[in-house]
Amino acid sequence: MANVKFMNPFVEAAADVLEKEVNAKVERGTLSLQKSSLTSDQITVLLSLVGQVQGVVLYGLSKSTALNLVSRMMGQEFAEFDNLAQSGIAELGNVITGAATVKLSKEGFDAEISPPTLVQGEGIQISTLDFPRVVVQLKTEMGDITVHLALRESPPGSDTGKNYVPIAIQM
Amino acid sequence: MKVQYLIPFVEAAYEVLKAEVNIPLERGDLSLDKGAYLTDDVTVIISLVGDIEGIVFFGFSNEAALNIASGMLGENLDEMNGLAQSGIAELGNVITGRASVKLSKNGFQSTISPPTMLLGKGATISTLDFPRVVVPLTSRIGRVSIHLALREAFRQGANAALLKVPDAPGLKQSE
Repeated sequence: MANVKFMNPFVEAAADVLEKEVNAKVERGTLSLQKSSLTSDQITVLLSLVGQVQGVVLYGLSKSTALNLVSRMMGQEFAEFDNLAQSGIAELGNVITGAATVKLSKEGFDAEISPPTLVQGEGIQISTLDFPRVVVQLKTEMGDITVHLALRESPPGSDTGKNYVPIAIQM
Repeated sequence: MKVQYLIPFVEAAYEVLKAEVNIPLERGDLSLDKGAYLTDDVTVIISLVGDIEGIVFFGFSNEAALNIASGMLGENLDEMNGLAQSGIAELGNVITGRASVKLSKNGFQSTISPPTMLLGKGATISTLDFPRVVVPLTSRIGRVSIHLALREAFRQGANAALLKVPDAPGLKQSE
């Protein structure tokens, strides 16, 4: 079961980071729980969490939102989603997730984050399998960012030194 | 990227595919790719965090994914339904888990993330500043490839304190 308590640190972190980096006010939009796979937006930043909380965080945004954000972050106009722009958006996902894990660890859940991966291409299916996703829309004047959290508390007895072992498929 | 990170994955993939579906594999020519990856039909993404960090992904053609999932589950699947997806993600997980055990025997402790699955051809996956080693695996069941974007983590803080400080002769206490 995905835990809604993991959501607030991400929403707060996103608001802090976006305010600092691009001077944007963030409004939280609708919240939903989704079990089916998601259909990708034009750009998706994917990061994993490993530790006492484990799972995947996805940030979905349109190309125009991404260009608006990086233009503001770097103080120059971007018309193309080139390597520098890609790196900027991935970094934004990284910083938001990093800030959220600091907040999570204050609540007693230590987790490390993986480097970001950037997926481009609209309309492909992204599945987090047996992790249901808490989905929250962040609205800014530069466009909307959809945050998908497929997180759960690591099973008791596991620690960060051990690998996540999935339940074997029963025949 | 060093070859010592790569071999455990190739070995693990070989062992797991042989054990799960009894399919012999042959390794194709390795290549280093700095650009983004254009996805095949099915992609499984798993991250590593720890002494070695980065991203591993497995690309399958639809045919290969269905053949492997059918072999794992012992029944014929003809579409990538939930069961087939779960099987393929599990395969990625088992291969990566096994590789990380091998890596830890070489002194690199890493933890792997749960898998994420992409369905759909033609999206691009970028690992940004991590160059990607591509290991194509050829088998009669279809296209399978492993992509490794890994590096040794740069560690500071707690671990730095454990480093042995060499004796500086000039600083020895005088009698």
